[in-house]
Amino acid sequence: MGITPMAEGLGPARRWAVAGMAIAIAWSLYQSGLGRQPIVNWGGMPQFGQFFRAGLRPDISGEFLALMGRAAGVTFAYAVCGTVLSLGLGFVGGVLSSEVWWRTLWPRRPWAGRPLWVTVRAVLAVPRAIHELIWGLIFINLLGLDPLVAVLAIAVPFGAIVAKVFSEILDETPPEPLTALGMAGVPPIQALLYGLLPQALPNLLSYSFYRFECSLRSSAVLGLIGAGGLGYEMLLSLQSLRYEQLWTAFYTLIVLNGAVDTWSALVRRQLGLTSRLALNLRTGQAAPAAGESAEHPNAAIAPDPAEFSVALPWGWLSAGLHRGLLPLSAFGVAIAIPLCFWSLRLDWGQLWTAQTFQRLTEMGRMGQPPALTLEQVSTLARDASQTVAMSILAIALAGVGGIVFSFPAAQTFLMPGGVLRPVATSSGGAWVAAIALVATRLVLLISRAVPAPIWALVFLYILFPGLVPGAIALAIHNFGILGRLMAEANENLDDRPVRALRSLGASSAGVVLYGLLPQNLGGFMAYTLYRWEVCLRETVIVGLVGAGGLGRLMTEQLSSFDYAGLALTLGVFVGLTLGVDLISAGLRRALRS
Amino acid sequence: MTFESPIFELRQVSRTFGQVSALTDVSVMIHAQERVALLGPSGAGKSTLLNLLNGAIAPTAGEVRILGHEVRRLSPRQLRQVQRHIGRVYQQHHLVTNLSVIHNLNAGNLGRWPLWKAALSLVWPQEVATAAKALAQVGIPEKLYARTDRLSGGQQQRVALARVLVQDPIAILADEPIASVDPARSQELMNLLRDLCERTGKTLVVSLHDVAVARSHCDRILGLRQGRIAFDLPTAQVTDAHIRDLYVL
Repeated sequence: MGITPMAEGLGPARRWAVAGMAIAIAWSLYQSGLGRQPIVNWGGMPQFGQFFRAGLRPDISGEFLALMGRAAGVTFAYAVCGTVLSLGLGFVGGVLSSEVWWRTLWPRRPWAGRPLWVTVRAVLAVPRAIHELIWGLIFINLLGLDPLVAVLAIAVPFGAIVAKVFSEILDETPPEPLTALGMAGVPPIQALLYGLLPQALPNLLSYSFYRFECSLRSSAVLGLIGAGGLGYEMLLSLQSLRYEQLWTAFYTLIVLNGAVDTWSALVRRQLGLTSRLALNLRTGQAAPAAGESAEHPNAAIAPDPAEFSVALPWGWLSAGLHRGLLPLSAFGVAIAIPLCFWSLRLDWGQLWTAQTFQRLTEMGRMGQPPALTLEQVSTLARDASQTVAMSILAIALAGVGGIVFSFPAAQTFLMPGGVLRPVATSSGGAWVAAIALVATRLVLLISRAVPAPIWALVFLYILFPGLVPGAIALAIHNFGILGRLMAEANENLDDRPVRALRSLGASSAGVVLYGLLPQNLGGFMAYTLYRWEVCLRETVIVGLVGAGGLGRLMTEQLSSFDYAGLALTLGVFVGLTLGVDLISAGLRRALRS
Repeated sequence: MTFESPIFELRQVSRTFGQVSALTDVSVMIHAQERVALLGPSGAGKSTLLNLLNGAIAPTAGEVRILGHEVRRLSPRQLRQVQRHIGRVYQQHHLVTNLSVIHNLNAGNLGRWPLWKAALSLVWPQEVATAAKALAQVGIPEKLYARTDRLSGGQQQRVALARVLVQDPIAILADEPIASVDPARSQELMNLLRDLCERTGKTLVVSLHDVAVARSHCDRILGLRQGRIAFDLPTAQVTDAHIRDLYVL
């Protein structure tokens, strides 16, 4: 997969896919108005500079740090509660929308379950298409400002996303042991419990960790609509132009994200899991079972991980953590979950009060879509095309940036003993490589830890409102996420072909072009296309801060209580998301062919 | 345990997959405690026959009776009741490799266990004595708590056999159990299978490629060719000519 040789090597489907993507990017650039209208607002330069200079002197007064600590606690608690609920919902939904569940339940009528799982999948597509922030706004209208809003705003859309991924994992798990048990007269649920779940569990767990990382980022974004936590503090600081405080919040968020990402990576490695998202690629290869990943093809040749850790200043620490990590993590999770639920004091009764019900019916009544005027249609069409263009520009930038950064950010490349440095030549080089590794990883961490709307607000100082600042903000955020995923893919690469190239005297550039990219480019494209769907959903949140597209329209409709218009916009948005979902899946299939 | 009626009974059974007919007009009776070898070239219908014998598939025409029950008349629940008494050993083992051996053995109990007990056993293994005994019978008692994917292929095959022992069926179906094992180990494994069936009075139906093993370990040989029965004779009466005709191109 992923080899892009001479034109005759490209199948027709692939050629169309590549041409289609090029045209889409060109069209998006035209839409952005680059070269046709002023983009950069030079007047905002001083403020932009002021903002970045503040990064060097954040507010570190004790009082403010205590405030940050509490805010970080709230953000963390939202993420934990949201993740727990979304995993619960997602597991149930995932089982119900998986083919294998219905086939096991009714082994003699394999067709009977089909309408059921297709229906469950279709129903779950709607909550998935709407961004957490929009869910948050809806729940705020229903429940008022309540911690429940943030938790539900994460749980509902993430539950639907988890359900989709879990059902794919279950369906792609080798079914032979399950079938064997079924044929020995074991009832369906017991057969699933012994024959399927244990095999799927490593992948399910691995994805759950990834979801927690996502929840943490979303929980910060939800603060922006008033749900409290770090996002809320950021918004207050930004609105009152206290950049020093804003940077303190940034640093807190970066530390929090970095800690969670590192912990998740360590635990996953300990469990013998290499990639979180391998299944989302739907590359047609079965996901590696736990047993296989232990015998990874390059395990025998790849330098021992301990070799790398010698060069890292924290190497001894990670080695020390090795043994205690899993029990400690299990213990920590068992403590953290009840603690987070308790600390938020969630009032579930809120959901069943007469007032909530009354607001719901009111929203339903006011949300009746109106008769469409021609003007509305043209506004919607214009904003929808802006939204799509924004998502395309953003993901193209993020994808290219991610690929470039994924090489220095991978542990197995520049470090001594890595594929680009088969033998440690000098200790000085090792330090340069270590610094490059840490620096690129830090850039990626900062990019993804800071919420996209904050990036958008910052770029609105020097860019005129419109598509470009939104696209750049989304690009930076997604670049941070993609770069990390791709670096992991690089680390998991089968390095035998690469070492063979090296030993015949190829230069580093030659190794990258002939050994690395051909193996991984297909996977990188798949990640990028998969992330495009997410990017489209996120256009709404940068739109909310004035960066154009359907998001801006929604903000206007929300502030004028135009629920009818809002329902219409949401409908268009769901349609767009599903469309992008289909196109992205089609492109991924075409690129595989 | 002896049955008046045959364990398996096939009457004029045919099975097609789409346009391809895998078995045509097959009639066989297998009685309790028989050891039957299925011989025949690849694609002769051996696997299809085994799949019919445990109700994994239904015949396209004709009648399949397992322990006296007509398969197509059974509800899924009743079919499961019947299938509990038919154990099967697969060439690819079909074990859950990231569970420890004890859980793979206890999977043989799942037809009898209620859900709560099955779930509990994953945390706190139940009926360990039965499982340990079965594992001792196949010769690797020390592997009870080992992770299954840490075992060699031959050891996994033994675990699969021990799982069938835990299931304690009336008949065992084995699909090319020695196809991927070296000659010394295949002798050992077949001895084990024969002895277990003899000692516990189980019926054995085993598909094989190795004619010598069929002769030495089974008392009846069923030759299949192009989906039809070429011969069905006691081992002593099978001649080299029979075998030659079976495999001739």
